[in-house]
Amino acid sequence: MTLYSLRTLRGQPFRLVFTIGGIALCILLMLFLASIYHGVREGSIEYIRANATDLWVLQGSQTNILRGSSILLTAHGQVLKQVEGVSAATPVVFLLSTIRKSGRTSTVYLTGYDILTGTGGPPGISEGRSVLREGEIVLDRSFAAKFGINIGDSVMIRDHDLLVTGFSEGTNMFVIQYAFVTLSQAQALIGYPGLVSCYLVKVSQGSGVEKVSMDIKSELPGVEVYPHEEFVGNNVREMESGFLPLLYAIAVIGAIVLTSILSLILSMNVLERRKDFAVLKALGSPRHILRRIIFTQSLTLGWSGCLAAFALAGPLMGAVEFLAPEVSTRIGIGTFAAAFAAAGAMSFLSSCIAVRRLRSVYPLEVFQ
Amino acid sequence: MNSAKSREVVLAMHDVSKNFSTGGQSTHAVCNVSLEAKRGELVLLLGPSGSGKTTILTLMAGFLRPTSGEVRLLGNDVGSCRPDDLQRFRARSMGFVFQNFLLIDALTVTENVMVVQEFCGTARKAARGKAGLLLQQLDVAHLGSRFPPTLSQGEKQRVAIARALANNPEVILADEPTASLESSQAMEIIEILRRLADEENRCVVAASHDGRLRDQANTIVSLRDGKIENITPEA
Repeated sequence: MTLYSLRTLRGQPFRLVFTIGGIALCILLMLFLASIYHGVREGSIEYIRANATDLWVLQGSQTNILRGSSILLTAHGQVLKQVEGVSAATPVVFLLSTIRKSGRTSTVYLTGYDILTGTGGPPGISEGRSVLREGEIVLDRSFAAKFGINIGDSVMIRDHDLLVTGFSEGTNMFVIQYAFVTLSQAQALIGYPGLVSCYLVKVSQGSGVEKVSMDIKSELPGVEVYPHEEFVGNNVREMESGFLPLLYAIAVIGAIVLTSILSLILSMNVLERRKDFAVLKALGSPRHILRRIIFTQSLTLGWSGCLAAFALAGPLMGAVEFLAPEVSTRIGIGTFAAAFAAAGAMSFLSSCIAVRRLRSVYPLEVFQ
Repeated sequence: MNSAKSREVVLAMHDVSKNFSTGGQSTHAVCNVSLEAKRGELVLLLGPSGSGKTTILTLMAGFLRPTSGEVRLLGNDVGSCRPDDLQRFRARSMGFVFQNFLLIDALTVTENVMVVQEFCGTARKAARGKAGLLLQQLDVAHLGSRFPPTLSQGEKQRVAIARALANNPEVILADEPTASLESSQAMEIIEILRRLADEENRCVVAASHDGRLRDQANTIVSLRDGKIENITPEA
């Protein structure tokens, strides 16, 4: 009955295209959301991941740098360097700052780092060079593209005129982007040179990370100390807690719309082909064969829509990134596989709903 | 003609009645009908519209359950069969020929004949071979790749008969098999039904108001208002 299933679908070409198009749009929406999620996830933690240190030291009760405001003193750094097993304690400053350029303003996540060691600096430079001295700034490349900023331009933060020397990559958090200046520049912008946000601690060879962590906590009771992987996890959770519920809600709406479209089209098909189903029932068709007709149609529509969405995904995401550079999308084979499986599951669910229509088709109808 | 030995009763109705209730009123569609149909016999249910012919056919096939009485097909009480058993029974032991042919338009002629074999789990290759053979027997083998809407009425009915025979059923139930056909085509179909009974030893029950079937039937059951007026055995 596979031929019957496919030919009856082909018999209504406009409806076929409309249905596959509707399903493709639903799946495209889900793919797009998934790609944004992965883009944001990577963008949010790439900076942290790239600055692979042994321990992150923050102000007490702070767990992350994405939505926290850790404040420590430069004096803490002196104490950290005295702790046995600590080979380096590099301060980093984070602050939300407003950048002005040609009358336009926008906020960046300004990061002041030690230019001598490079610790706490940008994960990668896509164009230009890193900050070498005060009065220079490196901007995220999508931020620069969005505001039309070029290397060599000047931007204003408070009353400081900063020369753009390069563009960084892996520093786009979707809602905000990183910008990099020297540590002293950032401290000058805060107005309190003795303040830092956190320390990136390297443990000397032969010393246990756990023991050094315990020793730091005992020397500096008011701080939090996190091993690198735990700190990455903290930031991922922080990002997801603000982002995932929205994505889930939209994805669920997309899935409901897809299932509704499919089950309606399949139910309509059963009603329009009522005579055929009544004849098949009268001739002694087992129920599983009739169900298989609907299931085949459902899978054909679902997976055709899925493949159409796959074909459109690349160009669409390219267009979105071109029109809105701050939107970073990432999509992998796993996401495609998940979308394919989800389309299959929704097709199955839709066919189960449509199969109920078969109950109201009676073989006796063929004698009317 | 078949021998008397081979003429065992395959279909029997004993004092069967069927009432329909609509809006609190009960209509007697079939009243106390008793009849038998044997292997190798063409039984004609003859009567005007509303006489209960089709209702009797649907009772025989188990599409309707009798209000009272018993319908036995190949020894089984059709009225008390479970739906799944009845479905299997229909697929394997009954063939249906309808007034409007009721072929599946989305399938080719060959596929229409193959599809009922799928109900019995026949392998695709074997089903195709059997379909080809049946279409050949009914002189429509050349139409195998065509779709039903492109066929003449007579061709459609021949294909429908091929489909009815696909699972080699003992019983063929035909509802007004000649009603939609021109005279010459109708005579051909009557002849085919006669041959099915005679040469293939099947039990053929045809409901019709077409008097031309009289000459070919072994038994004529004349009906009026859901009751048997008379049963005429004819050779």
